[in-house]
Amino acid sequence: MQFDLTSLVPYFGDLAAGARLTALACALALAGSLVLGVLVALMRTAASPLARRAAGVYVDVFRNVPFIVQLFFLFYGLPEVGIELSAFATGVLALSLAGGAFTSDTIRAGILAIEPGVLEAAQVSGLSRFALYRRIVLPIALRSAVRPLGSVFVNLILTSSILSAITLNELTGSAKIVAADTFQPFEVYALLLLLYAVLTWLVSLSAGALHRRLNREQI
Amino acid sequence: MRYADFTAHDLLLLLQGLGVSLALFAATTAIGLAIGLVWAALRYYRVPLLAALAALLAELLKNSPVLVQLFLVFFGLPVLLETDLTPVQAALITLSGNTAAFVYVIAVSAIEAVGRDQLETARVFGLSRWQTLRRIVAPQAAAFALGPLAGLLVNQLQVTSLISVIGVVDLTKVGAILNLRTLKPFIVWTVIGLLYYLAARLIAGACARLETRLRAHREWKGL
Repeated sequence: MQFDLTSLVPYFGDLAAGARLTALACALALAGSLVLGVLVALMRTAASPLARRAAGVYVDVFRNVPFIVQLFFLFYGLPEVGIELSAFATGVLALSLAGGAFTSDTIRAGILAIEPGVLEAAQVSGLSRFALYRRIVLPIALRSAVRPLGSVFVNLILTSSILSAITLNELTGSAKIVAADTFQPFEVYALLLLLYAVLTWLVSLSAGALHRRLNREQI
Repeated sequence: MRYADFTAHDLLLLLQGLGVSLALFAATTAIGLAIGLVWAALRYYRVPLLAALAALLAELLKNSPVLVQLFLVFFGLPVLLETDLTPVQAALITLSGNTAAFVYVIAVSAIEAVGRDQLETARVFGLSRWQTLRRIVAPQAAAFALGPLAGLLVNQLQVTSLISVIGVVDLTKVGAILNLRTLKPFIVWTVIGLLYYLAARLIAGACARLETRLRAHREWKGL
């Protein structure tokens, strides 16, 4: 039994490349799930029962089916219907779809927390529907949702490790290769665990700081 | 010759996979609950060093991907300790530990949600720390914790799908096998997803029923 990290040093470049891919996938998926989450949250708080129902089904399905099953469904299923995407694009799509369900929850909570008086005042002043969303609803809802969105993003980063199951060599995937090359799986995976923990800790710290900064007038 | 059609035997395979997933879920939930509660008790009794260690371990497990934990236990631990681990053993260890970390967090915040004045009152009445925990803190904390716990259980059921990656033949692995044989990804993964969905619904429903029972004393029963 020995614990030796020095022999891993030549492989740090590979791990860094994997980390870059993870970061890129997570950034794209964050953007995707934010767009999707805002749309779905608006649908879930809309007056039309049909929109509410449809958005509710989407969230229900994507929250209650394991991510790896969703990923395989897209990875093996999309080529079947003639949509040929790379593993990376499929991974980002799957992450965005799953992330969108969780994001919509936090934004919906932010929208529901807006005082009805504010919305009524805006409607009485004759703001158009689009202006109402753009100027009143979304700024308030997004601002109060920053911290919960941070934990959704942390979950997104952790979930992105599953992309290694569809041959994508992101951080976990490249660590698998390094572990096979060096015959030191314990050291590699222990290091990887720490790396993810530090990364997500930094993300939640900065989300907390951003939340405090954006909401400084509310306290 | 490749046999690409669905057969009656596939149904059996699906049920077997579902059984493995649910059995591992039940076992790791039970073990994880026990370990997580012990960690929370370490904190409640303010055991020096061990309480801090439990907090650090829970934080580490909570903030890293389950897949990496699974690889660490399945590929790393046998090399470090020079032993052998079967995939099922590795899955049991990893998922129990992961569940324990989240149970610890839920239990700690539930215990803290019980008002401090109640603890002080209990001490004034001469109750020991164990009696306070048993008679005053635990019943209230259990009611507080049940909501978050239901969410955790639904989540942990989905996390069990990851053990297919290290070769446990659970529901997801059965899906991968059927997918490779029949090359009908849409049907296969829809069925697998549906089975997980139904199981998650069942767990959420059971938790909701239990919660209404635990909270019954708070509700206005009428005169």
